[in-house]
Amino acid sequence: MKAWQGAVAAIVLLLLAGVPWYGSAVLVQFGINALLLAVLAQGWNIIGGFTGYASFGNSVFYGLGSYGVAIAMVQWHLPFAAGLAFGAALAVVFALLLGVPVLRLRGHYFAIATLALAGVMAAIVSNIPLAGQNIGLVLPPLNDDRLFYGLALGLLVISTLVVYWLTRSRFGFGLIAIRENEDGAAVMGVNTTLYKVLAFTLSGVLSALAGGIHAYWITFLDPESAFDISLNIKMIIMAVFGGAGTVLGPIIGALSLSAISELLSSQVTSVATLFFGLVVIAAVVLMPHGLMDLAQRVRTRSLRWNYLGENVRANRL
Amino acid sequence: MKTVLELRRVTRYFAGLVAVDDVSFTLAEGEILGLIGPNGAGKTTLINLISGTLAPSEGAVLFDGHDITALPAYRRARLGIGRTFQIMRPFPGLSVLDNVAIGALFGHGGGQAQLARAREQARASLEFVGLGRFCEQRAEELGGPGRKRLELAKALAMQPRLLLCDEVMAGLNHVEIEAVIDVIRRVRERGVSVLVIEHVIKAIRSLSDRLLVLHHGVKIADGAPQAVLDDPAVVQAYLGRKRA
Amino acid sequence: MELLIQVAVNGILVGGLYAVMALGLALVWGVLNIVNLAHGSFIMLGAYCSWYLFQYLHVDPFLGLPITAAVMFVLGYALQRGLLNLIVRAPMFNTLLLTFGLDVVLTYLAQLAFSADYRTINPAYAGHQWHWGTAVFPMVRTGAFAIALALTLGMWLFLLHTRLGRAIRATAQNLVAARLHGVELRHLYALTFAIGIALAGAAGGLYGSVSQINPYIGASLTLKSFAIAIIGGLDNPLGVLVGGLFLGVVEALTTLYIGPTFVDVASFGILTLVLIVRPTGLLGRTA
Repeated sequence: MKAWQGAVAAIVLLLLAGVPWYGSAVLVQFGINALLLAVLAQGWNIIGGFTGYASFGNSVFYGLGSYGVAIAMVQWHLPFAAGLAFGAALAVVFALLLGVPVLRLRGHYFAIATLALAGVMAAIVSNIPLAGQNIGLVLPPLNDDRLFYGLALGLLVISTLVVYWLTRSRFGFGLIAIRENEDGAAVMGVNTTLYKVLAFTLSGVLSALAGGIHAYWITFLDPESAFDISLNIKMIIMAVFGGAGTVLGPIIGALSLSAISELLSSQVTSVATLFFGLVVIAAVVLMPHGLMDLAQRVRTRSLRWNYLGENVRANRL
Repeated sequence: MKTVLELRRVTRYFAGLVAVDDVSFTLAEGEILGLIGPNGAGKTTLINLISGTLAPSEGAVLFDGHDITALPAYRRARLGIGRTFQIMRPFPGLSVLDNVAIGALFGHGGGQAQLARAREQARASLEFVGLGRFCEQRAEELGGPGRKRLELAKALAMQPRLLLCDEVMAGLNHVEIEAVIDVIRRVRERGVSVLVIEHVIKAIRSLSDRLLVLHHGVKIADGAPQAVLDDPAVVQAYLGRKRA
Repeated sequence: MELLIQVAVNGILVGGLYAVMALGLALVWGVLNIVNLAHGSFIMLGAYCSWYLFQYLHVDPFLGLPITAAVMFVLGYALQRGLLNLIVRAPMFNTLLLTFGLDVVLTYLAQLAFSADYRTINPAYAGHQWHWGTAVFPMVRTGAFAIALALTLGMWLFLLHTRLGRAIRATAQNLVAARLHGVELRHLYALTFAIGIALAGAAGGLYGSVSQINPYIGASLTLKSFAIAIIGGLDNPLGVLVGGLFLGVVEALTTLYIGPTFVDVASFGILTLVLIVRPTGLLGRTA
């Protein structure tokens, strides 16, 4: 890891870790949300950024994690940790079962398939009595935001370490090879099917853990909010805006977009959604390579004043 | 002489079109076999069938006497089959060194487990083909001849036992062609068997131990280079009146 | 048995409507290679447009369809020319993301303009029905079906048998040749997209006559349209028609035999299955 990136990461980590002490209650709550979104973005980064398979359905794993915790705690009276494990197990099973057929698809077919899966899961879960059907479940309350903040931060650190490991490991290089040229990767000896499924599963487990923490924190969930499709767009745009395929990009994207959204929206949450929609459009058109690319150019002094215009010119008809 | 590769009556259809038609041949260990034929004769398809990118419609592919027909591409790579691509597709986001490192990470025998060792091996491979200076450059910044050598370096970093070269000399000038011939000869000296597809007749005549000619997917000649090039069937199908 | 027939009839009537919904998506996808994740939102906007014409200007929903289609045509042209054009040569993922974002924006704007209340278009003849044997054919639904059929056949004729239609298809297949012929590509792209959106708008107008409208119906309709387009194959409008009828009947039967809450499971499940098993669709050749 380059020195400057390490320094930035250390500073950011210190700042974040201190929030429960120097920050207000509102800031802590904002922090929990933002940190969990960052985890989702990092999770997506593994399958979308590194492997090149843009999943539009990671909300499924988030939902499975949420329901795993909820069912374990509400219906079976198990502790939180068991619930998290259960949620993660659900994610693994789902990724293995459905990942294999779906990962055979390429490009936009894969994207649509994952979107369809998200739709199916939401619809199925709303029909299961164990999951409280349409009404949802109410979890036992635990009023300790500091704890949840710590959990969220811890999960983010783990996710980031996993992504960092990808940049230095044989597995990670295999994923990158798949992204850049899947047939070429196979011919060089990469077991593409296995690697894709592993990446998908890893991505799913992280998302599920985030969902589990969120569910316990909010103490309530129903199918619509647990399998919220708009989460997909948030995690993707955060990862892409920050820089897909980089280590710190998704974190920067998540924190910055959450902060800006919070500042803009004040009370009306739907404005946050509008904001994300507009950011998506602007980012895709003007900065498809994300903030990290911009930062890289600033650092290597190769940023030209018409950077945005060049991005557009390269892609338009 | 031990046979490292054998094709038995290999055939491949594409929606009614026969790309490779009942082709059989062997490749001995340490041999350099040249494969020539007009465009569209099925040469690249044949390479695809050997590397595992495509599966044959009929027939069998044997490596070291073992039937690998059903093995997927990555398993064949692990056994020691490496290839270059005719349309050069380096991994664009990576440096030249890392492009080749992937070959070292995943090649023959499963490759290296450690990234550092793989990078060392990659560096050695790049030196071997003469690209040592370009290690840190981004792969897409290499020019055409550089990319050809990069393809070779990638395949070599896999430590293959069988190397399949798909038109690695296309578009090169005389000096560059000599350099590639030299590389392939040195590769053979290491004990690697080579199958070379080429259009540059002069080069392949001097390089190959044996020559194979493919025409409309059918093998029409197989033997010593000069004899094959003198064969009237080959002359008519491929060489015409001109001789390179 | 009578119930089964009625359910089948309902399914077919809805299926025709579904086909028109998917038609615009298939056109834009098959010809321009633009995968429009905001497609459902355009259907939604078309529905609101027809509703507005009906509610405030007292225009009959069927007669007002051309107006709705025209409005959506203009919107589609502007959007393609001004926005989507900017990323046509980018990787497919960018288009997916852009249209995803567009979907969010359109939904929000609709909610702002029309509020989240459910709306319906209720012409005076809404309750009338025709009878044929034991089956009941609600007037409005049957009318919607007839128009849907007409639009589908019209698109088929247009694309396969008119000069402009063939030009559109040819251009998409060979960008370079089109350029050499001096075809103004940007205009043609925008035109094609506009036609696709106009179709979505018309479908929306029909949808508004048979079902309730609110700003959030878009997402579900997008997925349904994808299901139909993929099932039917992207090449041929008639394939889309088959896909639509198929989905309509499957949904009706699911409602009858399993339960209404399982309808989405059925339709999205079928989409997933088709993608996994046969991505080129039941009828299509390529995509």
